[in-house]
Amino acid sequence: MTSLAQTRAAPARPRLGVGARTATGIAAGTLLLAAAPLYLAPYATTTLTRILVFGLLAASLNLLVGVVGLPSLGHAAFFGVGAYAAAWTAIHGLAGAGALLVGVVVAALVALVAGAVAVRASGVFFLMLTLAIGELTQQAADSWESVTGGSNGLYGVPAPTLFGTVLDQPATTYWYVLGFFVVGMLALRLVSTSAPGVVLRGIRDSEDRMRALGYRTTAIKLGALVFAGAVAGLAGGLLAAQQRLVTPADVGFETSALALLAVVIGGTGSWWGPCLGAALVIVVRDSLGATLDGHGPLALGLLFVLVVYLLPTGIARIRLRRAAS
Amino acid sequence: MTGINRRTFLGISAGLGVAGLTGCGSSIGAAAASGDGHTVKVGLVIPQAGVYTPLGVDIQRGWDLWLRQHDGRLGGRRVTTVVADEGEGPQTGVPAVQKLLQNDRVDVLVGIVSSATALGVRDLVTSARRLLVIANAGAGAITGTNRSPYIWRTSFTNAQVAAAMGRHLAESGVRRVYAIAPDYVAGTEAIKGFSNAYRAGGGTIVGQSQPPFGKTQDYQPFLSRIQSSGAQGTFCFFGGAESVAFVKQYAQFGLSRTIPLYASGFLVEGGVLSAQGQAADGVLSTLHYTSELDNPANTAFGQAFRSAYDATPTAYAVQAWDAAEVLSRAVAQAGAVDGDSLAAALGSVGVLTDSPRGPWSFVQQSPRQNFYLRRVRTRAGAPVNSVVEDLGPLDPES
Amino acid sequence: MPTTQIAVTAMVNGLAIGLLLFITAAGLSLIFGMMDVLNLAHGALFLTGAYLAWWIGGEQQTWPSLARAVVAVVVLGAAAGGLLSLLTAPLSRRSHLEQALLTLGIALVAADILSALFGDDVRATEPPAGLDGTVTIAGWSYPSYRLALVGIAALLAAAVYWTVERTSLGALFRATVSDRDMVATVGVDPRLVRGGVFVLGSVLATLAGLLGAPIYHARPGLDTTILVLALVVVVVGGLGSIRGPLIAALLFGQVESVGRAVLPGLASFLLFGTLAAVLVVRPRGLFTLAPGGRR
Repeated sequence: MTSLAQTRAAPARPRLGVGARTATGIAAGTLLLAAAPLYLAPYATTTLTRILVFGLLAASLNLLVGVVGLPSLGHAAFFGVGAYAAAWTAIHGLAGAGALLVGVVVAALVALVAGAVAVRASGVFFLMLTLAIGELTQQAADSWESVTGGSNGLYGVPAPTLFGTVLDQPATTYWYVLGFFVVGMLALRLVSTSAPGVVLRGIRDSEDRMRALGYRTTAIKLGALVFAGAVAGLAGGLLAAQQRLVTPADVGFETSALALLAVVIGGTGSWWGPCLGAALVIVVRDSLGATLDGHGPLALGLLFVLVVYLLPTGIARIRLRRAAS
Repeated sequence: MTGINRRTFLGISAGLGVAGLTGCGSSIGAAAASGDGHTVKVGLVIPQAGVYTPLGVDIQRGWDLWLRQHDGRLGGRRVTTVVADEGEGPQTGVPAVQKLLQNDRVDVLVGIVSSATALGVRDLVTSARRLLVIANAGAGAITGTNRSPYIWRTSFTNAQVAAAMGRHLAESGVRRVYAIAPDYVAGTEAIKGFSNAYRAGGGTIVGQSQPPFGKTQDYQPFLSRIQSSGAQGTFCFFGGAESVAFVKQYAQFGLSRTIPLYASGFLVEGGVLSAQGQAADGVLSTLHYTSELDNPANTAFGQAFRSAYDATPTAYAVQAWDAAEVLSRAVAQAGAVDGDSLAAALGSVGVLTDSPRGPWSFVQQSPRQNFYLRRVRTRAGAPVNSVVEDLGPLDPES
Repeated sequence: MPTTQIAVTAMVNGLAIGLLLFITAAGLSLIFGMMDVLNLAHGALFLTGAYLAWWIGGEQQTWPSLARAVVAVVVLGAAAGGLLSLLTAPLSRRSHLEQALLTLGIALVAADILSALFGDDVRATEPPAGLDGTVTIAGWSYPSYRLALVGIAALLAAAVYWTVERTSLGALFRATVSDRDMVATVGVDPRLVRGGVFVLGSVLATLAGLLGAPIYHARPGLDTTILVLALVVVVVGGLGSIRGPLIAALLFGQVESVGRAVLPGLASFLLFGTLAAVLVVRPRGLFTLAPGGRR
């Protein structure tokens, strides 16, 4: 992993560090988000909390899809494993940041094992191999009843506490999630916009060239996968804190696919774009969908179709190369 | 740059979506309930999309029919029903309940088909101190180990339905049975409920299988096992599309001629029965209801249901009908619609003697009710579950 | 029931399921391998075929109703294929993921339309007289429709294989893959070829739905189940040939049948376990063409 930290000559090196404008933007955005519960109704705050959780998942996936060029259809495996680990830890007495940490570590370990298998494949084969990993993980969650609760999931997860206060109200849960969301997003930004990001983009654009330059590309890709998995695990831990329930569906194909679609909708070109895609998916599926007499999936389908036709990307294309090319 | 345009557009529409769909105000401070003494707002949580939709339709029909016959009032208060789509599981079900509680500010929740959703909303409902009447979900834990004083059930427990069959088979001299149910919690509960009752009566389980839930289209590998097990009968628990596939394949592979099929009644309840066609003929099952029950309440209910919807009533519809009935009594008795008053009132509601399913009462917040042995046969060109025997009452989770 | 009978039943069954799976996956493989479009609406096409079987034939097919159903699924499949070709054409220069977003959107819309048209109940249909019973040979019982399915699906599979690998039409398809411009200079409109592949692939999907209806039963959610199975077969088989999906489909037929009989405890892990195992050993599937030539 040494080459991750090295700053060898690489094509199109972006500005390192955080510009004043960007820093101001981040600070203003965070403040605006932090103030949201003051002017939003409880349900809107709850929805926004879901968006933050799902947005962090999508943003971590974008590190793989947009930056490294690895389209994963199994990212929910790490999200779900993180959620289960955090929920299990919280149920067994350690709620709050400790549970989140356990979630992150377990998710990173699973990502390490899964990644060791997956990084050799590329394109649609990577897509399907990660799908298989996701489905096998979900199946394990379904079968390992003594730990995961089987198909009914882990329920009754205690709310996190901070300085003796139980964070179980919409606003307090939101602030708790927001805090760690910001941490996760900054970590993602750091990796994708600084030196390691340059290397990762180089691998996306031409793995052969980067290998010729002396980079151990397989190890670097594995490193990126573990990092993205760890952030997804953080998002999973936040899901457990917010939803107070983890079920096999959180690990499975549908969650992975929605996260991937959120990335595509939001655009892979920026580190925060996927959060917008996630916001739209959550609003359409959860808030709008529940009121449509069962036509929620239709609304989601129309959203996908409209986005593709009406808002063509001008941003970096995702490299899902044909295997034969 | 078009990329910026897309993101800007998405940001604006998502922001508008959050605000527009969910309303502004503040999340700080306690949410006030709506009760003004004359109305009650009910959130009906049912699957309207996905594989459980037929159950959702039946539950809504049972609920609507009761209200229509009672002047749209529960315990004297005018009812507003807000329906939310539960979807296929907690991923959509939990947000739907959140929406009803936090956005629509409903007084009472009714419905929920998925056990995982029912277990998952426990803390939400409990901390909001609103009453939830479960109209289907059958996991034992809902009113057992994960009990909440605010969650009551008018349906069944998975183990209870299966135990009725276990007890009956043991008593009727079937000595060796193969048990099969999908590999998920409800399937496991059904097998356990059946096995405990059956073994207690002296029967032997000669083998059991749990095919992957929702991922099995072809039961042939499991059918071969049943054939070679030497069983005198097969006990099974399946629902929805799986029940159609299983019953048809059981007949197609020639098992129905040699090894009779016994089931938890969901196998042959509702729309799946007509899809099974000839293959279901003669299947014996236990359930707390069948449209063929001969009692005055069911005769009236059946006529009203058929004339309103041109369909045969199901256990799912009765569960919702009874949910409305007990709620009405509780509202009238409590004189209030907050969760604590309603829960207390439900505790003293006693025996319901005029339910279409026969008399039943709450034991540990779930029905103690009669079970019926039913046989599929054709009546007037359509398959029905005729009553073979009243097996008497069972406690929940027995 | 003797062990040999169990083994024979499982293997025949695996063959029937595998061949049906091939008909289903062949269309997806053609469209993806040749036109480079990942068509996630493929499962919806299968489900449409299954619903049509029920809608036309009711709960019990007759031979005339089956004939009408065949005509209907071919016509509708062709129309749907043409429509999909037009809808995805503007995206031919965009990424696979954008195509996936579009076709999944179309699939969700299609599922909603199907649910509105046919309801949410399970719609089962029985094959016509003569095929709806059970064959018993020396104490060995097997559904006659599944036996017939082996024959029908094998014929159809052979026809597809022959069309793609041996006819001038197939040659044209394959030529379009390797060099679009050259096909144009020969005087053939590549858009027509593209439309042709979509029509063929979609008709195969709706036909598979018709054939599979008596086994799978039309119902909401079947589209996703079938889509995932077909994707697995296509990827394990490898892209660009018709032999790959054939062998992969036969393999998965046996995995789902013999595998589940031998390893019932691991039944839920078999499908994706096999997929993962194949891709770990061969990261580009079993039969993906090496760049620059056929193997």
